[in-house]
Amino acid sequence: MFHRSARLVAAVAVGAMALGLGACSTGSDTDKGEGGKDLSKNRTGAMQAFAAGQQFKATEPVNFTMLYSNHTFYPEKDGWLFWSELEKRTGVKLKLTVVPASDYPSKRSLLVGAGNAPFIMPKTYPGQETQFVSSGAVLPVSDYVDLMPNYQAKVKQWGLQNQVDTLRQADGKYYVLPGLHQDVWEDYTLALRTDVLQQLNLQAPKTVQELHDVLAAIKKAHPDVYPISDRWGTHPDWPAGALFQYLGLAFGTQSGWLYHNETWDPTAKKFVVTGAMDGYKQLVTYLNSLVKEGLLDPESFTQTDDQAKSKLANGKSYGMSTNAQTLVNEMRPGLAKINPSAKVAKIPDPIGPAGEIKNWSRLENGIMISSKAKDSPNFVAMMQFIDWLWYSDEGQQFAKWGVDGVTYSKDGSGKRTLTSDVDFVGLNPKGTKHLQKDFGFSNGIFAYGGTTELLNSTFSPEEQEYQKVMNARTAIATPPPHPYTADEQEQIGLWETPLKDYVKQQTLRFVLGQRPLSEWDTFVSELNGKGAKDYVALVNKATERYAKDHAS
Amino acid sequence: MTLEPGPSAPGAAERRPARPVGPRRTRGYQVFRGVNGVALTLVVLVTLYPFLNIVARSFSSETEIVTGKVNLYPRGFTAATYRLVMSDPMFWTNYRNTVYYTVVCTAVAIVLTTCYAYVLSKPHLKGRRALVLIAVFTMFFNGGLIPNYVLVTGLGLKNTVWALALPNAVSVFNLLVMKSYFENFPVELEEAAAVDGLSTYGVLRRVVLPLSKAMVATMVLFYAVTFWNSWFSAFLYMDRQDLFPVTVYLRNMIASASDASSLGAGQADATQLAASIQSVTMVLTILPIVLVYPFVQRYFVSGVMLGAVKG
Repeated sequence: MFHRSARLVAAVAVGAMALGLGACSTGSDTDKGEGGKDLSKNRTGAMQAFAAGQQFKATEPVNFTMLYSNHTFYPEKDGWLFWSELEKRTGVKLKLTVVPASDYPSKRSLLVGAGNAPFIMPKTYPGQETQFVSSGAVLPVSDYVDLMPNYQAKVKQWGLQNQVDTLRQADGKYYVLPGLHQDVWEDYTLALRTDVLQQLNLQAPKTVQELHDVLAAIKKAHPDVYPISDRWGTHPDWPAGALFQYLGLAFGTQSGWLYHNETWDPTAKKFVVTGAMDGYKQLVTYLNSLVKEGLLDPESFTQTDDQAKSKLANGKSYGMSTNAQTLVNEMRPGLAKINPSAKVAKIPDPIGPAGEIKNWSRLENGIMISSKAKDSPNFVAMMQFIDWLWYSDEGQQFAKWGVDGVTYSKDGSGKRTLTSDVDFVGLNPKGTKHLQKDFGFSNGIFAYGGTTELLNSTFSPEEQEYQKVMNARTAIATPPPHPYTADEQEQIGLWETPLKDYVKQQTLRFVLGQRPLSEWDTFVSELNGKGAKDYVALVNKATERYAKDHAS
Repeated sequence: MTLEPGPSAPGAAERRPARPVGPRRTRGYQVFRGVNGVALTLVVLVTLYPFLNIVARSFSSETEIVTGKVNLYPRGFTAATYRLVMSDPMFWTNYRNTVYYTVVCTAVAIVLTTCYAYVLSKPHLKGRRALVLIAVFTMFFNGGLIPNYVLVTGLGLKNTVWALALPNAVSVFNLLVMKSYFENFPVELEEAAAVDGLSTYGVLRRVVLPLSKAMVATMVLFYAVTFWNSWFSAFLYMDRQDLFPVTVYLRNMIASASDASSLGAGQADATQLAASIQSVTMVLTILPIVLVYPFVQRYFVSGVMLGAVKG
């Protein structure tokens, strides 16, 4: 059945393209006819003066259609307090098209392609909107952000303009309203058995070198154990992608789930071929040494999560990659049942030659809007509503925590506490009601992004400790925007995946020792043979063009 | 795929000299049977193992699953997950939908397919070739996903059972199998019935169909299994979760368990579902088909061969 969904995606892409071509030819004249944007006919229900920090309330009851990605853990319920309270506060009722989360992107493509899309399409990750741009079916939201005071205020206050610019398409507009974080949120790192470290009198490693030494010391004491046997080995994007992700960052390159064929070099002010970077070679060499010395289980790159978790639980390995959720939900319960004295905890992402850095992106998945919404009499009200719910402090707090006095209470210092019978991420294990399941708050559709204070407010003390260390690190430079023309897009599309697949495949061969590192230079020339140099040249060309066209 | 009754054939053959016994005695045939038996047993084991494993997991405790100790039989027996899944009202709503959709879709499909096939089996029908071609054409070409969606939506079928029943009503493969079966139906019987005063529909209803039970049962089984297992149409055309069939529910559950933790950073709502929840849902979903299958299977085996050989 998964096979079928791949076919669906392909079919939809072709269909969307076909429609796009059709729409392009007719679209251009109507654009000319419109001229500027006169929204005087679209103000029904909108507030006359809507400013940042102000409560949005539609002047008359309005309905908006919305696509809804239904999560299995908290399936949508009509009786949620979230819906009724939202209507009370804003006068807005959302009419949902409910889609199972498993196939959300497919259905979204289908609906957009069929011209049947609901007005609001949340949970759209930056990059996913690109395929729809040429069809004219989605709204260039950058033209309408002046209707969104909270959004603009946050972009300005948090210095996010250059990051938002990376979303721009060849026409200089962007088509998705991203979720905004005040600070970079790192979540993935290595978790190690701290009780084993303690036993062997070892400190938690801070750098990649210390990590190597600590793992070697564990191996010496427990020769039959792999100190790390990693998970996500069957991940379709990149096996053990988390491990490659945070170690790649440490070596100043991009790998794993962060991999892109091009990496921005801020000193040279241009993009370079990721796979040919010195940092990339160091990363591969480092991981190869871990495998060679028996510190990293070679099966890490092929085994299922269940196998990795079972090794950890049975004491056949002492660590694996994790995020805050998987640590608490998956690693600890299995371990606790077999070995109650075992302790496992996140270590801050190991520091490498690139220094104390973290990734640059502070953008989240966001909202795409159907271009038909623009013709609705309620268009302005809808933009104000989106601005309030997703981008105002009040709206974000409401979406995450719920209603003061019902689901949580706030004390004098501003600290929020869940009401005693409401549970969420194990904060109130004895609670009989669940913040997500029974009230509809902290819903991934509505609650994301925001201030670091809000983000941390539901973290456990140990996670806050990790966040504190990571927040202190410097974010790497934001790469400049480099939107492609249609021709370039096509060329990039031809090169992109084969290149990535080749780098991935050879990376794994080098790491596992199937290909000697002495062949590194051959590998780099193979990359160029596959168009890596031309690819990056094209990216640089697009970068320069954008910089020239938008020089202010 | 059923094995013929046992290797005791030589003895049995002795008692029934009327049947030809020749090739069964040869050494080559014995070797063939032996190899065949071993190969098929292996196939059975390979296909049965994952199935048994799922059943075993569904009854096992979390600890045993996490440590990878569950193989063929449950360890740390518990039915707690069954209680949990069965307490979700949406599961039952969707389950009811599946039953309803399967019944309606199968009924529509079997009526339309039978009528179409019967008509096509008559050589004197004018334009028969064209009608066959129209059907076969759809095997190789279709309008594509988005046009289909626009059509179904335009006809106002969205969010109704008809969106599932009508576009999938005639499976061309089933149609052709049925057509060739009807073509081999003794024409004398039909002529006799016609002489006795039955109309065309009367012949079909009172003479042909009662004598084609095996064929119809096979087709019902084909269609019912397909509709029971299908999730795709429902996913496309249903916009509310209380309209989804249980397959969509199951798919969402399995996908969220395997993707949620792996979508990269920023998935704050990723919550892993325990492995046993997946197994339990799977077992509950396939149970009715597994229960019904053995009883319809004998038609299935004989029926699918019907019409396959012309002569």
